[in-house]
Amino acid sequence: MAETAIELVNVSVTVNHAPLLKNVSTSIPKGRITALIGPNGAGKTTLILAVLGIIPHEGEIFFLRDGRRETTRPRIGYVPQRLDFDRGLPLTVLDFLTLSSQRRPLWLGYQQAKRDKALEALREIGVEHLRERQIGRLSGGELQRVMLAMAISREPEILLLDEPAAGVDISGEALFCEFMTRVQREGHLTMVIVSHDLSVVTGHAEHVICLNRTVQCQGGAPEVLTPENIMAVYGPHAGLYRHGQDTCIHPLHHK
Amino acid sequence: MESLFAIIYSFLDTVLPFAWAASLFMKRAFLEIMLITPLCAIVGIQVVNSRMAFFSDAISHSAFTGIALGLLLSINPLLTMVVFGVLVALGIAKFKTRSDLPMDTIIGVFFAATIALGIAIISTRKGLSQTLSSFLFGDVLTIAEMEIAVTFALFAVILIFIALSYNRLLLTGINEPLARSQDIPVNIYNYIFAIILAVVVTMGIRAIGILLITALLIVPPASARNVSRNVRQMFWYSLVFAWVSGIAGLVISFYTDIATGASIILVASLCFLLTFIISLVRR
Repeated sequence: MAETAIELVNVSVTVNHAPLLKNVSTSIPKGRITALIGPNGAGKTTLILAVLGIIPHEGEIFFLRDGRRETTRPRIGYVPQRLDFDRGLPLTVLDFLTLSSQRRPLWLGYQQAKRDKALEALREIGVEHLRERQIGRLSGGELQRVMLAMAISREPEILLLDEPAAGVDISGEALFCEFMTRVQREGHLTMVIVSHDLSVVTGHAEHVICLNRTVQCQGGAPEVLTPENIMAVYGPHAGLYRHGQDTCIHPLHHK
Repeated sequence: MESLFAIIYSFLDTVLPFAWAASLFMKRAFLEIMLITPLCAIVGIQVVNSRMAFFSDAISHSAFTGIALGLLLSINPLLTMVVFGVLVALGIAKFKTRSDLPMDTIIGVFFAATIALGIAIISTRKGLSQTLSSFLFGDVLTIAEMEIAVTFALFAVILIFIALSYNRLLLTGINEPLARSQDIPVNIYNYIFAIILAVVVTMGIRAIGILLITALLIVPPASARNVSRNVRQMFWYSLVFAWVSGIAGLVISFYTDIATGASIILVASLCFLLTFIISLVRR
């Protein structure tokens, strides 16, 4: 069993008297890719926001360091499902990436080291050519990739991706798969992917957590992704579809 | 302080050998405008990028009640105006974290309540309305040296804060959850910015007036946005448009007898129109 990076103990989230998560207890293994799956409204994004400390929760969330449970969050990279922002803002991709890392105000120019780091992250995700483009003029897929570059430029210990493949075009999907394969090979980044696209899950995840307000099932991908479990989480019309020999398989369509 | 101002006046006589800058009251007005217009622009960039124009309008109008309270309680109205403005800003910011109502609804409630309180006070003391009218339109030509010194101190403190937190404030304005995920203490920044905004707005009222102070905050940054391609350009263009509007407005008001606040905002609006046309041509 791999070392644990994040441990959730009886985590519940209630918003306006509606329970979004109920007594979630689970562990996320360190240095592995964990997929968080479940139908719409299952509380996947809520769980991510609770881990980030953005949404108040009951229960405990621990981050494990050298076997010790700590409540202080390590550096986390986060890619939200959708970024609502003012699209008319004159902010370039490079501005966007240096915003969080650089203390010197951007109106005094970039710090060389921060600029280099941002460019390196953009290069790693294959979007360096977008550096002078305004973020409001990016397509959905381009913005997702820029967000991913922003997340990894923080050199996080944990990377939380909320529906990373949503809105990504074919070439973007290939680049995303390459990135996942590299993360998997290097093995020092703990990654949690929220997805209802089971192709991403079956292609890369080593650990799977099925969520529907509470944990339905969890464990290694082959054991968890059984037709019975999928049916229990998504309902009777869902199933796994595999096409070709690609690492990334085509999406599951649940009707 | 008098000797310091004497040196500044003599310096202005050398660099501004124009008829409009000859009198002492115009020199003081010039100094105040050189400080308050960029201050409003710097704060205004965040107001525009975070869609806080209505918030700023509510604070400027709350000044009306702050002044009325000062006059009623025989406390310096400039002081009660700033304190009341800060309290209203903090009240809105606190309410926002505790309520599911849309932000503009919360501001609308505060706006209505403070104005109603102001009118209630004035209606009981008829003599107050005349004093209040000078705050409605502002009067930079009667600004005192002490007020210029306070604006300068404010300018220095706010510039330091903005320089240290500009990038984080901008990220907070872009998307709060994203900023929180990057360990930015969003609530603290929101409260501090609300206080700064309230102080700048209420200080600016002396020069520009309650009715037009929000325009000085948003029009120069909005003009800058029309022609900027990145964050640096937006910042520097905002400053340039603010200074140009301020000084041109002051000179125009000297030669035409138009109220200074109004002429500044008219020049700023002209800048906006020109930059908007440029942005249309560029597309």
